[in-house]
Amino acid sequence: MPPRASKRKSAPPNSSTVTSSDGRSVSSKAKTKGMEKIDRLFNSYANSSLGVIDPDGIEALCSDLGVDYTDVRILMLAWKLKAGKQGYFTQDEWRTGMKALGVDSLSKLKKALCELEIEVGKPTNYEDFYTYAFRYCLTEEKQKSLDIDSICELLNLVLGAQFRPQVDVLVEYLKVQSDYKVINLDQWINFLRFCQEISFPDLGNYDSALAWPLILDNFVEWMRQKHS
Amino acid sequence: MSNQKKRIFQIEAFQNRVVVDPKYAEKTWKILEHAIHEIYNHNASGLSFEELYRNAYNMVLHKFGEKLYSGLVTTMTAHLKEISKSIEAAQGNLFLEELNRKWNDHNKALQMIRDILMYMDRTYIPDTHKTPVHELGLNLWRDNIIHSGKIQSRLLSTLLELVHRERTGEVIDRGLMRNIVKMLMDLGSSVYQEDFEKPFLEVSAEFYRGESQKFIECYDCGDYLKKAEIRLNEEIERVTHYLDAKSEGKITNVVEKEMIANHMMRLVHMENSGLVNMLLNDKHGDLGRMYNLSRRVPNGLAMIRDVMTSHLRETGKQLVTDAESLKDPVEYVQRLLDEKEKYDGIISLAFSNDKTFQNALNSSFEYFINLNSRSPEFISLFVDDKLRKGLKGVSEEDVEIILDKVMMIFRYLQEKDVFEKYYKQHLAKRLLSGKTVSDDAERSLIVNLKTACGYQYTSKLEGMFTDMKTSQDTTQGFCSSHPELTDGPTLVVQVLTTGSWPTQPSITCHLPFEMSALCEKFRSYYLGTHTGRRLSWQTNMGTADIKAIFGKGQKHELNVSTYQMCVLMLFNNADRLCYKEIEQGTAIPASHLKRCLQSMACVKGKNVLRKEPMSKDIGEDDSFFVNEKFASKFYKVKVGTVVAQKESEPEKQETRQRVEEDRKPQIEAAIVRIMKSRKVLDHNNIIAEVTKQLQSRFLANPTEIKKRIESLIEREFLERDNSDRKMYRYLA
Repeated sequence: MPPRASKRKSAPPNSSTVTSSDGRSVSSKAKTKGMEKIDRLFNSYANSSLGVIDPDGIEALCSDLGVDYTDVRILMLAWKLKAGKQGYFTQDEWRTGMKALGVDSLSKLKKALCELEIEVGKPTNYEDFYTYAFRYCLTEEKQKSLDIDSICELLNLVLGAQFRPQVDVLVEYLKVQSDYKVINLDQWINFLRFCQEISFPDLGNYDSALAWPLILDNFVEWMRQKHS
Repeated sequence: MSNQKKRIFQIEAFQNRVVVDPKYAEKTWKILEHAIHEIYNHNASGLSFEELYRNAYNMVLHKFGEKLYSGLVTTMTAHLKEISKSIEAAQGNLFLEELNRKWNDHNKALQMIRDILMYMDRTYIPDTHKTPVHELGLNLWRDNIIHSGKIQSRLLSTLLELVHRERTGEVIDRGLMRNIVKMLMDLGSSVYQEDFEKPFLEVSAEFYRGESQKFIECYDCGDYLKKAEIRLNEEIERVTHYLDAKSEGKITNVVEKEMIANHMMRLVHMENSGLVNMLLNDKHGDLGRMYNLSRRVPNGLAMIRDVMTSHLRETGKQLVTDAESLKDPVEYVQRLLDEKEKYDGIISLAFSNDKTFQNALNSSFEYFINLNSRSPEFISLFVDDKLRKGLKGVSEEDVEIILDKVMMIFRYLQEKDVFEKYYKQHLAKRLLSGKTVSDDAERSLIVNLKTACGYQYTSKLEGMFTDMKTSQDTTQGFCSSHPELTDGPTLVVQVLTTGSWPTQPSITCHLPFEMSALCEKFRSYYLGTHTGRRLSWQTNMGTADIKAIFGKGQKHELNVSTYQMCVLMLFNNADRLCYKEIEQGTAIPASHLKRCLQSMACVKGKNVLRKEPMSKDIGEDDSFFVNEKFASKFYKVKVGTVVAQKESEPEKQETRQRVEEDRKPQIEAAIVRIMKSRKVLDHNNIIAEVTKQLQSRFLANPTEIKKRIESLIEREFLERDNSDRKMYRYLA
């Protein structure tokens, strides 16, 4: 993903330690050991002066993982890490993420990525991931919408696998229409619902009297005109 | 006690047996039989009622009731058969008379017989459940006379023949008819119905079927309806004279069906005489008749109403799209008013103020008035024309009447906010040029608008009036506090509150020196008393009166706009000026300047300037001179052009755009208001509610409402419900 500057900060992770009678925590010892490996992995990619993994680091991570840095799996990873700023992973995010994946080495991470795809595919997670993808791209504070080109890229990335035909036509329309120069979150969310609920390409069950965003009403009308 | 024999009572039989004379019953019957004969032969006077009664009584008492009864039946039947023969023998017209006479006789006889046999009637007959004497008499009459082979059909055909003759214009003996019909009624309703009414209705139906067919070929709609009405009334009259009252509904149904219902379609749509023609020519009598007759027929009124509605819509549509009337807004509105008056007249005079027709009228007007999106503008121009000059010299009541009529048309507008915008513009021009005919009329109209649309609609308009009044006071105050200015030009200032008046871009120009000094004095005076306010001169809206002396010494007072004044004053210092010099000297924007120069150099009678070349349009290289040869019959000449006019295309677009922009916040406010109180609401209901709330101002477009909702979602006033797609939730 193209790196952008962002002022959003992520919340610090919650940590709790258990102390045993001898004053030294047993689980914390184990934790510390596990955390060591995770931290080591972190540091191997982090920018030492910033203390975070920056876009270069992510690129390096990607090549080590054998994925293209525009691959959707990296976005999924960001989602799992609950990364706040596009193109950056903080140490806390890294730690939380790696622990959630149960991973502390590169090889394990590679394997986890495949499982991650399945996990994201689950209906309960998918919508969350989809929404996250949009928010992740908002780089400015107060920014509420994304420009059309970015949206098209994102659609391809996130929905392309599952809803190829819809995405292709929708992207075509978005590039051709001139009513909207940006897309907001509400419209974004409804793109997913559209793909999930409306039969394609006949659009038989689409009802423009319902509360679909206007952009989709226009899209449906455009499609119908094209095919008539 | 002595030896007495016990006495037992014994009843002994009569020594002599009492024997009832076996011939007793027979003898008694013979007496009675003879009496009946006499009665039928009109010889009843020789009989003794008491004796006969006693005889009958005895017969019943001695258990000979059976004999009496059957004897009665036999005797009466025999007599009736005789009577039947005599009736059959009657020729021609005498048939009915004979029948009637014999019927009367029979009734009289029956009564006497009944009286004589009263004891039997009261004891034997109820006990044996036999038919009482009177009823028996009627039944026998029915069976032997009315239903006799030779009489039954002859009676019916005679009666029907008479009815037919009467229908074709002959006079018949109605009394006789009445009696015969009453006879049938007395014999029982089934006799009346079977032996007369049913065939009567059938024959009538056939008659009217034929007649209506004939009429429809040769009469036009109006005349046909007259004929139908006549026939209908005839039948009603016939019933009152000689038929059972219950037949009225049935026979009128027949006429209605055959003459009206069956031909309704053809009548209404008849070319050159049908409903449309009647409407066009205000034929109130015919329309009233059609209304009354259609009311009697199922769906009759609905048909008329529908034809009227589609005709009205068609006419209205032509009215509002006719290129000729579109050129003159006043004419346009006048035609609408005329049409409304015409139909109001028709509905009240011919359709007895039927509410359903009133509704059809209203919906039609609403339909076609809104077909033309310029209707609001034109109505405002019409009012403007009236308030400027049209109402001059008109009495107060008549003014009210005209304004009321305009208000009625106003109510049909869907885009009332567009009207408001134009009305404000036109009102501003009227107020500022002082060109309103009647202040009272202006106020009265505002009150009407307030009643129709609510306080908010008119608050700004009222503000404009207030400004005018206040300005008068301010100007007076200025003049009295600067007595040294009485020698110079007189300044009259109107101070307008920005929010109330139509927004104008603020364009200033270079005022002549005398004026600019004066204006500055006023500004400081005003700001002296009203600190914190900002004043900007609206030079495009003012007027001036200037005195001019032309080449031959002719003096005139010219009433001009401020711009025109600026241009003219330049000629005090130069004889000839080219366009560019004027432009520089006055700093008036090009489009206004061109119009201004045109009005002074190219209009006959107002050409205080001369232009070279003499073309109609203003070119950038033109030169201007004072027109030394200017002449006018009047001393005071008006050259100004501040009259409200129908907008040009680009102006119209601009106004329309502004209206659309104004609507957006109104829609949003409505959405927020509704959601705030309902908290959660689904899409269709929001659209419906918003439309309803804004209805008094304009018709909200569902797509526009959707756009506003999405905007509100983006600004986090609303959100979509997570589980139900169609619902929105208010975010506090």
